Amino acid sequence: MYRYDEFDHAFVAERVAQFRDQVERRLSGELAEDAFKPLRLMNGVYLQLHAYMLRIAIPYGTLNSKQMRMLAHVARTYDRGYGHFTTRQNLQFNWPKLSDMPAVLHDLSTVEMHAIQTSGNCIRNVTADHFAGAAADEVADPRPYAEILRQWSSVHPEFSLLPRKFKIAVTGAERDRAAIQVHDIGLHLKKNDKGEIGFAVYVGGGQGRTPMIAKLIRDFLPEEDLLSYTTAVMRVYNLHGRRDNKYKARIKILVHETGAEELARQVEVEFAQLKDSELKLPDADVQAITRYFALPDMPERPEGWESLARWKKADEDFARWVQQNVQPHKNPDYGMVTISLKPIGGIPGDATDAQMEIVADIAEEFAFDEIRVSHEQNLILPHVALADLESVFRRLQGTGLETANAGLITDIIACPGLDYCALANARSIPLAQEISSRFGSAERQAEIGELKIKISGCINACGHHHVGHIGLLGVEKKGAELYQITLGGSGDEHTSIGEIVGRGFDPDKVTDAIETIVNTYLGLRLDPSEIFLAAYRRVGPQPFKDALYGSAAEAA
Amino acid sequence: MTRIWRETGFVENDPWIVETDDLTAGEDQKALLDLDTLIVRAEESNDVGLGVVLKPADDVSRLEPYLYRLEIVAVSFPAFNDGRGFSQASLLRQRLGYANELRAVGDVLIDQIPLMLRCGFDSFSVTNATALKRLADNRLPGIPHHYQPTARSAEAGQGYSWRRVSPKSA
Repeated sequence: MYRYDEFDHAFVAERVAQFRDQVERRLSGELAEDAFKPLRLMNGVYLQLHAYMLRIAIPYGTLNSKQMRMLAHVARTYDRGYGHFTTRQNLQFNWPKLSDMPAVLHDLSTVEMHAIQTSGNCIRNVTADHFAGAAADEVADPRPYAEILRQWSSVHPEFSLLPRKFKIAVTGAERDRAAIQVHDIGLHLKKNDKGEIGFAVYVGGGQGRTPMIAKLIRDFLPEEDLLSYTTAVMRVYNLHGRRDNKYKARIKILVHETGAEELARQVEVEFAQLKDSELKLPDADVQAITRYFALPDMPERPEGWESLARWKKADEDFARWVQQNVQPHKNPDYGMVTISLKPIGGIPGDATDAQMEIVADIAEEFAFDEIRVSHEQNLILPHVALADLESVFRRLQGTGLETANAGLITDIIACPGLDYCALANARSIPLAQEISSRFGSAERQAEIGELKIKISGCINACGHHHVGHIGLLGVEKKGAELYQITLGGSGDEHTSIGEIVGRGFDPDKVTDAIETIVNTYLGLRLDPSEIFLAAYRRVGPQPFKDALYGSAAEAA
Repeated sequence: MTRIWRETGFVENDPWIVETDDLTAGEDQKALLDLDTLIVRAEESNDVGLGVVLKPADDVSRLEPYLYRLEIVAVSFPAFNDGRGFSQASLLRQRLGYANELRAVGDVLIDQIPLMLRCGFDSFSVTNATALKRLADNRLPGIPHHYQPTARSAEAGQGYSWRRVSPKSA
């Protein structure tokens, strides 16, 4: 993974000092809250319902055990002993004191971490495929490009006060695990006929109150033009994005109102002027950054094939965990392990300091010291020998981290909701816990198969409900919480926005409604290999409406 | 009180004013014209030493034919968080090659001044009390390590082509 050089260390130290000064001015009253707000947001500090929240950047979701231990330390020392991994591969602490923030940031800087641009109307932490570098279906590792973008966008003076936040995601595989089509810019790494690396560029995707799928505006952008082309997009957006209404300020609205073709033309005009500027990426620099992300030296471990089969036969729980939470690595002696942060009935994405320490220990001992955070709010050990899977599982057992549910109905994404968030209309976490408990049996989950439930506590859609196979949106109606259900959403290479199935459900009725939907699916699927999403796409919403609301005539 | 600040210090007797209904340029003063007025004036005369004040939605490329006749371009920030002026400044300096005074006017706050300097602003019309005090103390809150080239030239930074270092905190 990327390691800081002296320049990076100096930059982060200066940024911490700069923020310390800003916090001091705020605490002394010299700086008013409205002027402080964009400054603290640029450094990941939100003012939430009960307290300040600090969001720490985990660039493209990659971290090592030392960094994970530091997160545990921060949880213990400055918070209430836990943190929350987010859908943007970051980590949030919900209870730190504003006066402690500079100290937290200083501690983080000692392990090459920070909170820069994890919020605010700027270019946010760049995300990437959580299986990057390990997945068998990859054209190239997206992380070097995400790192180059991370550096270039850090405290970019021209793009620090954009109309609205700006999110970039990069994928290097055909199978899109980074949800690039619901990002402001989505980059899909590909090779042209000559075998050269470039990017398909998607612009204007997003969720929130106006969900939109990104438009392809460049089929093949050469690698060397990454920063000049991105600058062109940002400049067009900064100058022309709407600033009259914060709900219409994302680039998706500009793309929608301008038209993708016209926007692409404007970007090309700007790009033509920037193409041969100092932003052109020298091949040597790309190579140097790429070297940081080379695969670790992985010895041959063929003994795992035989022992894995033996262990699976001997232990049903282990077999189920391997089946569900381990995916093939590009090296056949290894696997990619998902450590579920979705214990049955638990809070999606939360991890205690002790759990963070355990993951750090396992990563150090068995996984070449590498950990990833997935946008589905789980942790990943990207390189684990099959021969070590049993040891890893034993270490996870009894810690709350051994749930075998990756991709299943209890692997729920949920935003913090009304329990924490100042924007929320409804609770998300208790609903996720209730659904998880209802469907918690291992046999039942296995029978249902792949099914992604995503829950947002308000229309801002932080829980990605628009791209859930089943999406739940909490709304407020006449002072009470109500949940709207959408079906058929997906955030992969065949991205689709879920459709509202009908009128919403009261909090005490919504889990029953999910059960009705699931039973309807089980009754109509062609065979167990037809997952919920495929079945929904085949039959459409009507059978689900009928099941939920009685006859079609009664449906809202 | 509004004062004009440049990196050399506060400027006394600055002649440029933005005219309003209640305020017109006096004998020792010069008006910053809005973009349309500037273009009409430039087309109808051979005047040089002109000044213009841009609004955030103005297209800076319209200034291109007249740049050599301008002594100052002021870019307005009606609110500090309206960042269009950063792109306008970058385009004026990098694309159009404008080399005379480039002034930020409006809601100019201390924490934005380092970013403005990097985008090519070299003059600031400042009203905010904290900003005035910090500028008087010469305490700019900027940081010298940068991850991107910008309009303001800076030395190459360690490691990669996109990095830059400023001699001091700008």
